[in-house]
Parts: sequence; C-alpha cells; structure tokens
Amino acid sequence: MSPELLFEQALNGLSFGALLFILAAGLSLVFGMMDVVNLAHGAFYMLGAYVALSVVQRTGSFWLALVVAPLALGILGVILEPLLLRRLRGRHLDQVLLTIGVSLVIVDQIGAIWGREVRSLAAPAGLDGSVPLVGGEYPVYRLFVIGFGVLLAAVVSVVHQRTKVGMLIRAGVEDAEMLGALGVNTDRLFAATFAVGAALAGLAGVVAAPVFGLQPGMDGDALIYSLVVVVVGGLGTLGGAIAGSALVGPADTFGKVLFQEFALAVIFAIVALVLLFRPTGLLGRIRVAR
Amino acid sequence: MRRVATWLAIAVAAAGLVAFPYWSAGWESSRFATTVLRDILVFAIFALSLDLLVGFAGMPSLGHAAFFGAGAYAAGIASQRLATSELAVTLAAAAASAALLALVIGALVVRTAGIFFLMLTLAFAQIVFAIAFQWTSVTGGSNGLAGVGRPDLFGIDLSSSERIYVLVAVAFLAIALGLRAIVHSPYGRALVGVRENERRMRALGYDTTRLRLSAFVLAGTIAGIAGALSAYSLRFVSAQDVGIGTSIRGFVMVLIGGAGTLVGPVLGAAIVTYIERVLSSATPVAETVLGLVFIGFVLLARQGLVGIGRAAWAQARR
Repeated sequence: MSPELLFEQALNGLSFGALLFILAAGLSLVFGMMDVVNLAHGAFYMLGAYVALSVVQRTGSFWLALVVAPLALGILGVILEPLLLRRLRGRHLDQVLLTIGVSLVIVDQIGAIWGREVRSLAAPAGLDGSVPLVGGEYPVYRLFVIGFGVLLAAVVSVVHQRTKVGMLIRAGVEDAEMLGALGVNTDRLFAATFAVGAALAGLAGVVAAPVFGLQPGMDGDALIYSLVVVVVGGLGTLGGAIAGSALVGPADTFGKVLFQEFALAVIFAIVALVLLFRPTGLLGRIRVAR
Repeated sequence: MRRVATWLAIAVAAAGLVAFPYWSAGWESSRFATTVLRDILVFAIFALSLDLLVGFAGMPSLGHAAFFGAGAYAAGIASQRLATSELAVTLAAAAASAALLALVIGALVVRTAGIFFLMLTLAFAQIVFAIAFQWTSVTGGSNGLAGVGRPDLFGIDLSSSERIYVLVAVAFLAIALGLRAIVHSPYGRALVGVRENERRMRALGYDTTRLRLSAFVLAGTIAGIAGALSAYSLRFVSAQDVGIGTSIRGFVMVLIGGAGTLVGPVLGAAIVTYIERVLSSATPVAETVLGLVFIGFVLLARQGLVGIGRAAWAQARR
C-alpha cells in the first residue's frame, strides 16, 4: 500500500470511527442508564436520515436538518419511553423485545412514507468539494465528519465529567435504583435518557446520509455496527464508546481495503478476541445484565 | 383408556395434516393453501428450535437465522456442486453445517446471559449474513442461490409440490415429537433448571456451560434442517434467510404463541406467516401490523396465546 493510499484510508477510517461514535454513544448511554439494549437504535438512525431528507427537500438547508432531525427523534423518544418501556420497568429483556416491535413499525412506516428505493442527500454547500491532500483530493465533508465527531466527543466528555447533568448520568449508570431512593425523579431521568439516545441516533443518521445515502436495510447495518462498537469498547461507558469507535472505524476501513468482501471477518475476529480475553469489553465494567 | 383415545386423535390429526394436499385437492384454493401450510410448517420447525433456546433453556438468541441460513445454503450448494438430489446427502450436509456453525458461535456466546447473549448472537448472525451477502461466487450474494433442485429419497422422487409438502409435514411431526420427548427427558428438565437457577444447577453438579452449549447446537441443527426444507420448497435461498429479519420473525412467533411451550411456536408460526402471506396482499403495511401485535403481546400477554388459553381454561374450571 502506497503512503498516499495509506493516509487516505486512515482518514476514511477516522471519519467512519467518528460517525460510529455519534451512533454508538446513544446506544451506550441508554444501556448504561436503563440496562436496555435499544434494538430500535438502527431504526432511529434511519428515521433521522429520512427526516433530514425531507427537511432538505423543503428548505434546502442541511444545517436546519442537522437540528430538526435529532429534535424530532428526541420527541419520539420522550413519548415512547413512558408509553412503552416504563410499563415494563425492571424487566430488561422484555423491554429489549419491545424495541424490536418499535423497530419493525418504524422501518415499515419509513418505507410507506418515503418509499423503498435508494435515495441520496447532498453534502451542504461549502463542504461538498474536495481539498488537495498528500498526492490527491479528499472530500471536505469527510473531514467535517471527523471534526464533528471529535467535537461531540469532547463536549459529551465535559458534560459527563463536569456538569450536574453528567453527575446524574454517572450516578444513574452506577445505580439508578439508589439514585431514585435519594430523591431523583428516575421516571423523568429515564425518559430524558431515552430521548437523548434517540436524538443521537437521529444525529448520526443526518451526518451519515451524505456519505452512505439512504436505503432499506440501513437500519440493520447501523444497529450491528453500533453493537459491535459497544461490545468491543465496553457497554454503558462513554470511554468504551470512544475507544470502540476509534478501533472499529479504522479496522473496518482497512479490512475493506485489504480483504475486500471479507472485511466483516476482520470485525468478527476483533469481537471474538475481545470476547475471549475481555468479556466486558475493553473499558467495560464487570456487570452481568440479565 | 383416555390416554389411548388422545393418542388416537393425535394420530388421526397427524395423518390428516400429512395428507392435506390430497384430501383438499378438490378445493379451488388447494394449491395456495398447501404452499401456505408448507411455509407455516417450515417456520414452525424453526420457531420450535428457537423456543428450545428462548423458552426452555432461557437463552434469548436473536441470531437464530444464521443456522436456518446455513442449512438452506448447505442444502442448496450441496445439491448443485455435488450434482445430487439425494435427500439423505443434502439434508445431512445442511444439518452438519448448521451444527458446526452453532458449535463455533455457541462456544463463544454460551457463557454470557440475558441481554448480552442476545446482542452477541445478533452480532454473530449479522456476520454470517455479511458473508452470505458478499461471497457471491458461492452463495450468489444479493441475487440469492437460484435453482435449488427438488430432492429425491433413495430413488423416490419428491419433486412435485404435493410430495415436498408431505416431506415438510413428516419432518415437522418427527421434530415436534422428538422435541416433546427431549423437553420431558431429564436433559430437558436440566435445561429448564439452568434457565431458572444456573448457580443451583452448578452446585448440584451439572456442567451448565455444556448443557447450554448442547442446547445451542441442537437448536441450531434443527434450524438448519428447517432452512434446508425451505430451500427445497422454494427452490431458492435468499441472503435474507440469514438476515436479522428472519431471526426476529422467529422470535416474534415464539413470543406471540407462548415461549416455553411446544404448541406456542407452532401457533405463532401460523399467525405470523398468515399475516405476511395473506394480509400483506391486502395491506402495504403488514410489517407494521406485525410490529404492533408483537408490542401488544410483550406488554399485555407475555405468556403468549398459550398463556391466554391457559388463563381462560383456569377461569372456566373455577
């Protein structure tokens, strides 16, 4: 592999990793707080992308879509949590099953509303070109994705470590029941957590749309990649989501270059190795969630 | 006496089920009904095998399609590459491939439990899906594997749609009876014990990891047989057979019917297949209906139809 190609693929890997972080952070947050693996996370991602498509078609503004789509998903999340998940509080596996049903409905409704063919979303003006980079051209939008992902990780880290909200989240991840006993309204906390998780999925959907396009099946891909990230990084921790996406993004990209169609075998090997030697993930804590 | 009468009734019903395409031949919709019933039975086998994990052993696998697909591809590829239509060969290839895959994946996942188990089985199944989807030279990739030959058994031609149906129905009955024997055996009781309290089972001297792994391989093998039957029936294997949709469909069947029972998955297979085959021609949003029905059962009737039936029966007897 030539140095130019190596550099280009490294950037591709980073931008994919940044995208995975946005996607996996929401899944990890919801799991950490509520012990629920939200299997509708991929459907939320897909819905975010399609909402963005409609916003861009109506207003022509990608930046508006970048705000509206996560907001819409957040509202959906804040409605769905009390409506469905709260009724099964404490029955984690049944809550996971509920999210399967939610996913079926959302994906089918997307097909009914927006159609089932492949669509694309253009990168916003100013980011749709390329810049000269070591011996070639590189799309600006991908650089933007890297910057956006890193910025989001930094903001989330500061919120997580330095603010009162972050303190609540850390306490909730540690022991939500005890937090409730201390007088925190866990109903509201859980609804807000689920909403933020959904909003992050929607945000990832908007950011990814100009790179990967919109098509049926994108929900399953998003779900599987975010699961791989959180399994590798460690479930329910912010550091795990960062480490997992930083590892899986480049590994997947280089895997595709080196092994073409068997790239997923590379991911498979990583997951298997992590499982064998560190069943809780690289930065996971020891907890068996039943 | 009552026992004999019960078994006699079951035997008559079984004979009626196997001979369905022949006694219904006069109906106008006999052919359509036969294909729908065949698909129901194929998925009933799949759902039964999944229920062995989900309901009896308490292992909520969301990756069971991997074994269904492995069986389907193995049967299809064996019939094409080995240029044989001998059922004994292709079905053995399907069962062996599914069993081997289940052994490999199972060895990695059976130590985990609950949600973690669910996620890992899903992740591994998606990897199998990706291989099936992308290894075009062997699996046909996104085009699927077309032209799977109909089998024959020791010289008996099974290629007509009536005979394929009979093969599926006989396989269904054999597997249902076999699973009934298994869940009532000491081994089956031990699996339920692992579900209820793994630590206690270990204290009693059971090797619970091996129990769980054996259940995983057994369920995977049966799912592989279901996959092979699907390949013979449709003469086609789709990458979607390995996809998450198939795993979810099986899970929905088990839960709607009633997990931890043998009747439940069969009922569930009938309802889900009915919704998808019959209702989907009436409404474009059959999947939405399915999703809402599933949500309703998880929220309100977690024991499934069998649970509702049992509650109603208990109510009536009081």
